[in-house]
Amino acid sequence: MKQRILEVEHLRTEFHLRSANVAAVDDVSLTIDQGECVGLVGESGCGKSTTGLSIMRLLPRSGHVTAGRVLLDGRDLVPLSEAQMRQVRGREVSMIFQDPMTSLNPTMTIGAQVAEPLVIHFGSSKKAAMDRTLETLHLVGIPNPRERVDDYPHQLSGGLRQRVMIATALAAEPKLLIADEPTTALDVTIQAQILDLLDRLREELSMAVLLITHDIGVIAGRTDRVMVMYAGRMVESATTDELFAATRHPYAEALLQSIPQLTQDANARLPSIPGHPPDLSRLPPGCRFAPRCRYASPACIEEPPLEEAATGHLVACFHPVGVLSGAAAAWSAPGAPAGAPTSPPPVPASAALDASAALDASGSPARAGDPTPPPDATTRRLTLAAAAVLVEVDHLVKEYPVRGGGLRRRVGSVKAVSDVSFGIRRGETFGLVGESGCGKSTLGRMVAALERPTSGTVRLGGDELLRLRGADLRRRRRELQLMFQDPYASLDPRMRVGSILREPLVVQGVGDRRQQWETVASLLDEVGLSRRAIDLYPHEFSGGQRQRIGLARALTLNPRLVVADEPVSALDVSIQSQILNLMKALQRSHGLTYLVISHDLAVLRYLSDTIGVMYLGKMVELGAADDVYARPAHPYTHGLIQAIPVPDPSIEKAKRSAAVRGELPSAVNPPSGCRFRTRCPLAQEICAEEEPPLRGFGPGHVAACHFPLLSPSTDQQAGAVPVVSVASEPAPGAS
Amino acid sequence: MTGFVVRRFGQAVVVMIIVSMVIFGILHVLPGGLVRAQLGPRATAYAVRQLTVQEGLNKPIVVQYGIWAWHALQGRLGFSYKLNESVGALLSQYLPRDLLLVGTSLLLAIAIAVPLGLWQGYRRNRPDDHALSALMLVFYSMPTFLLGVILIVVLNIWVDVLPSTATNFGTGLGTDFRVLALPVFALCLGNVSYFSRYMRSSTVDNLLSDHVRTALAKGASPRRLLLRHVLRNSLTSTVTLIGLTLPYVLSGSLIIEALFNFPGMGLLFWNAAQDRDFPVLLGVVLVVTVATVVGNLLADLGYAALDPRIRYK
Amino acid sequence: MTTHDNPPPPSQELPAAGAATMATRPSAPSPQRSGERAATAPGAPRDSDVAAPASAWRLGLRTFTENHLATVGLVILVLLVLFSFVGPLLYHTNQVASSLISQNLPPSGSHLLGTSPEGRDELGRLMLGGQSTIEVGLGVGVLATLFGLVYGALSGFVGGVLDAVMMRVVDALLSIPYLFFVVLLAALARPNLLLVIVVLSAASWLSTARLVRGETLSLRTRDYVTASQGFGSRAHQVIARHITPNLLGVVVVNGTLKVADAILAFASIAYLGLGPPPPATNWGELLSAGINNLFDGYWWQLWPAGLLIVLTVLAVNVIGDGLSDVAEIRLQKR
Repeated sequence: MKQRILEVEHLRTEFHLRSANVAAVDDVSLTIDQGECVGLVGESGCGKSTTGLSIMRLLPRSGHVTAGRVLLDGRDLVPLSEAQMRQVRGREVSMIFQDPMTSLNPTMTIGAQVAEPLVIHFGSSKKAAMDRTLETLHLVGIPNPRERVDDYPHQLSGGLRQRVMIATALAAEPKLLIADEPTTALDVTIQAQILDLLDRLREELSMAVLLITHDIGVIAGRTDRVMVMYAGRMVESATTDELFAATRHPYAEALLQSIPQLTQDANARLPSIPGHPPDLSRLPPGCRFAPRCRYASPACIEEPPLEEAATGHLVACFHPVGVLSGAAAAWSAPGAPAGAPTSPPPVPASAALDASAALDASGSPARAGDPTPPPDATTRRLTLAAAAVLVEVDHLVKEYPVRGGGLRRRVGSVKAVSDVSFGIRRGETFGLVGESGCGKSTLGRMVAALERPTSGTVRLGGDELLRLRGADLRRRRRELQLMFQDPYASLDPRMRVGSILREPLVVQGVGDRRQQWETVASLLDEVGLSRRAIDLYPHEFSGGQRQRIGLARALTLNPRLVVADEPVSALDVSIQSQILNLMKALQRSHGLTYLVISHDLAVLRYLSDTIGVMYLGKMVELGAADDVYARPAHPYTHGLIQAIPVPDPSIEKAKRSAAVRGELPSAVNPPSGCRFRTRCPLAQEICAEEEPPLRGFGPGHVAACHFPLLSPSTDQQAGAVPVVSVASEPAPGAS
Repeated sequence: MTGFVVRRFGQAVVVMIIVSMVIFGILHVLPGGLVRAQLGPRATAYAVRQLTVQEGLNKPIVVQYGIWAWHALQGRLGFSYKLNESVGALLSQYLPRDLLLVGTSLLLAIAIAVPLGLWQGYRRNRPDDHALSALMLVFYSMPTFLLGVILIVVLNIWVDVLPSTATNFGTGLGTDFRVLALPVFALCLGNVSYFSRYMRSSTVDNLLSDHVRTALAKGASPRRLLLRHVLRNSLTSTVTLIGLTLPYVLSGSLIIEALFNFPGMGLLFWNAAQDRDFPVLLGVVLVVTVATVVGNLLADLGYAALDPRIRYK
Repeated sequence: MTTHDNPPPPSQELPAAGAATMATRPSAPSPQRSGERAATAPGAPRDSDVAAPASAWRLGLRTFTENHLATVGLVILVLLVLFSFVGPLLYHTNQVASSLISQNLPPSGSHLLGTSPEGRDELGRLMLGGQSTIEVGLGVGVLATLFGLVYGALSGFVGGVLDAVMMRVVDALLSIPYLFFVVLLAALARPNLLLVIVVLSAASWLSTARLVRGETLSLRTRDYVTASQGFGSRAHQVIARHITPNLLGVVVVNGTLKVADAILAFASIAYLGLGPPPPATNWGELLSAGINNLFDGYWWQLWPAGLLIVLTVLAVNVIGDGLSDVAEIRLQKR
């Protein structure tokens, strides 16, 4: 039996706010053994980070542990004095945080920061501390640590910074490491590398790890046991395999189902959890999940105790889910909700419903039944194949000058987008995927006519919008609209929702006052918001609701194309699926064409018909979504797919090393030849010398690689093609 | 870093050129022009004509500006007929005393305000922080000369420990440094209130930042936290502020010198304003502006030196 | 338990239960340090308390009054305005003629706060001085803010070479210590009250312009501005609908602080003897007269004027704090 490192018993943490005392963590118990990795998962605000901070006793001033014990090696940390606690922090328990940029001190060298715990806890001499620092930096995989110790954090890339952060936590060899969303701020390829590193270190140092994350895929692959939290409470706890194989709590079940998976049937509605988590200062009585739970019954007005459902499997629910498959079948039956009689949910009326429900009016297309139920995959494909091309992107290039020196001379340029060509058919959803910095957002802005290309053209319905001037351009702008990532920044905080939605109509002079207000009202119905929203300000809405407002605004002018830049990446999983469903439903009812930009291949795979993969300004692969996913031709695409954590322990644990190594090179001096070659496992000499041309790999499927994972097809134009790729062969050495 | 220094230096030069144009412009909107301003309303037409030619004031305005700027660069700022001395000579007498007064009070203000702000930030929203904040707000809301008067009343009239005027300081008649005390205190207190407010909020921001949380997670003591992690980061932004407040500090010195009769440029300027002695007025404005621009430049360079993100660019 | 036989979930959303409360973002003290923030800035009322869509004014007023210090400041300021403008109607004094026999009299029944060196009633003089002081403060606050707003917004929105030139001019003028600048201008002509306002505004608009420019630059790149341009708004529509309203908060707060600064600066130039000539007066000049008689012990000429200045500036400063709470309310709630 492994040694027990941490034992948290009935922890309760309260925040004293002026309006109320809220318990951010309520009666949470957990244990971690030596060498074990325990996952703590839940949506934002569920108390998972607060649990981590409570263990470290690093709560903000308004927060206090009011009950429970935190036993580290049998010693209770809660009653320790601040001075005693300082002896524990960094030496026995360490913690790493989400954003490595802000979590490192910008004015201290990384060497000094890694050495700091040694100086604090062991009073190490300069030399000893330096030796150990170099050793630790080497351990976390910093290349040439001796040359790097005197660097400042801003001189390192994001991945290296997080490695330094881990080094600072490990320098004093703690028994327990608390990792709070350690990879959330990182790209998916880097995320895989960092998680691999944490795994390796845990084994080498036989350290206990508490991994706090919102990403169930990460949990599946990296943890031995999992605790699921909801609204400050532990709702389920089991070994990772057991949890995924036999989920008991309805919340955990719904959470698992609402993630778009790579294997998802793109034509089925994504199951989603209605509403959003409760305000901790006004909790519903009894089970906190009851207002959103589809199994809720009058019994749920009592608080369900955390009971053992099977050996080592705890669950707090009166109606635990028995077999996952049965419930899942009920959920994902194609078109199931359509026209289904809307019986009131079995929630006791006295249960203070999540007030937000009041806003989500009953008129939403989702509940009233889709006017046009989703067609099956083949029909859709055939329809699309026959549709005309709406957007044509032809040899598009965008470079930003880089200035330097005292006189701000142009010293180079950032090659944001380099010679990209593709087409989008009417009614199609085109997904653009790639790591941050690959140029996908720049491309999106050029398609939306917000930025002028350095060269090349973008045509909308055959016309080049940016050729137009003044009033003509402004009039044509109504044909393409935008949806943004940040639901907080995309709505003017000083305008009421009614005015926000009406603004496009006023600007374009569409209809009279009354007609405009009618349009606004019907748009609110369509995106599933109450008409009362008209008089409210954006801050009175949740992130998901704001994203609905943003979508409604994009639709006011009945555009032909909507460019959506990371439309769901700022949202919690349960909310994310609501928005994805809504986007799909609106596409059908309005005949919209989408250009969706995302770093999340799983989201795109669910949403898109066609996927374009970008790497450092280049389109490296393009094809039908299923095809690209099932048969990636480019090693980068393959690597991206591999790097996405899948919420299935058997798949996830079988992957053993990060598929894409290294980090994105600078776009100022991109590598010669194939830009991916510096990170490619298959790269050979020719990759550095010659830029690979786009070659066909089946109908409408092209990729640019010298050593593709598939053998190229000789006949590119075979069969019904869901997309015409107007991509043509770039001249060798075009960059 | 070199790029930053070069660019910042270039900016300072541009600013100086614009300032010189503004001052030259004021020179020209004077009723009757510079000559009348110098000679007074009762000068004879002959004297006016003679001075006009002598100063090159009959030439085109661009040439005049060139001449004036060239002279100014050489330190030839005209002649005060009221004081019967060249402006350059006057300034060279008064300027050093100002450097002493303003420099001392500024250093003292920083020495008090930085630890004070750091402490207040650490103790934020506790009673001692509230009390100090309130006190600073009162200082902040007080005209500089009232602050001086209160100091005189307390330290000179009630408890006679310090002299209330500094009339002869550094003029050869006396170099009793005790006379400096009250003017320096009075000038310093206002700045303390300003700097410490800023330092406090900067400290609070830093204490709430992610990297301080990391330091706490390493087991850093409050002392280490404040000195190693917060002080330098808070100081970087405060240093820029000190540069930006230089014009206000110099403005304060004008008042304080008038109140304590301290023979510095402020007093020279004030007397010149009452006598409408324009060559002196403009010369002093030019000098204090140069001082400000140089001070700002130094502050920005200090900022760059403290912040590695700029140093290694 | 019939958990598995439950019908499929009827919809994504719960029905619109008759709850009268508004939706709210879960304002839980969520993971990162928002607990601390929530504790230090809980000024905003919770949505849930808002039964009906509250008007912006009412919401603002509530936030303002939650800042007790600001409320006290507002009350004090109102009292000071009443004292200065209504006071003379109740307490009649002759503020024109000077009187040799009643010079420097200590407080008594006929002169509640004694008399000035010219023999005028000191309390009446404080009322008169209050008028000009408050007028200058407000005048400069408004004038400097308006000019700075237009200048800064133009510079920030147009950008490019114009912006560079306009900002270098501001930099240059900002490097001239303001009091030297003001004294120089005041030396050109002995000012009346209007001229004082203009001269002080000339020194005061600069920092407003800089602030507004910075804000405009950051507002220009907000997503909602991009969206607005995306559906074809012209520059003036963007400025009117998005930039200006969002600037307003910062500008009003800044303007309030300008009022405080202007009162202090006015006192300073009055102390230097460059204010409007007698029989007009202001608190700075009264204070100055008191300082001249410092060693004679005529306390009634010194402290009341000093107290009134400090009280006014303090009140305006704390009101500024309260207003900045109001300006940030909607952003705070993020």
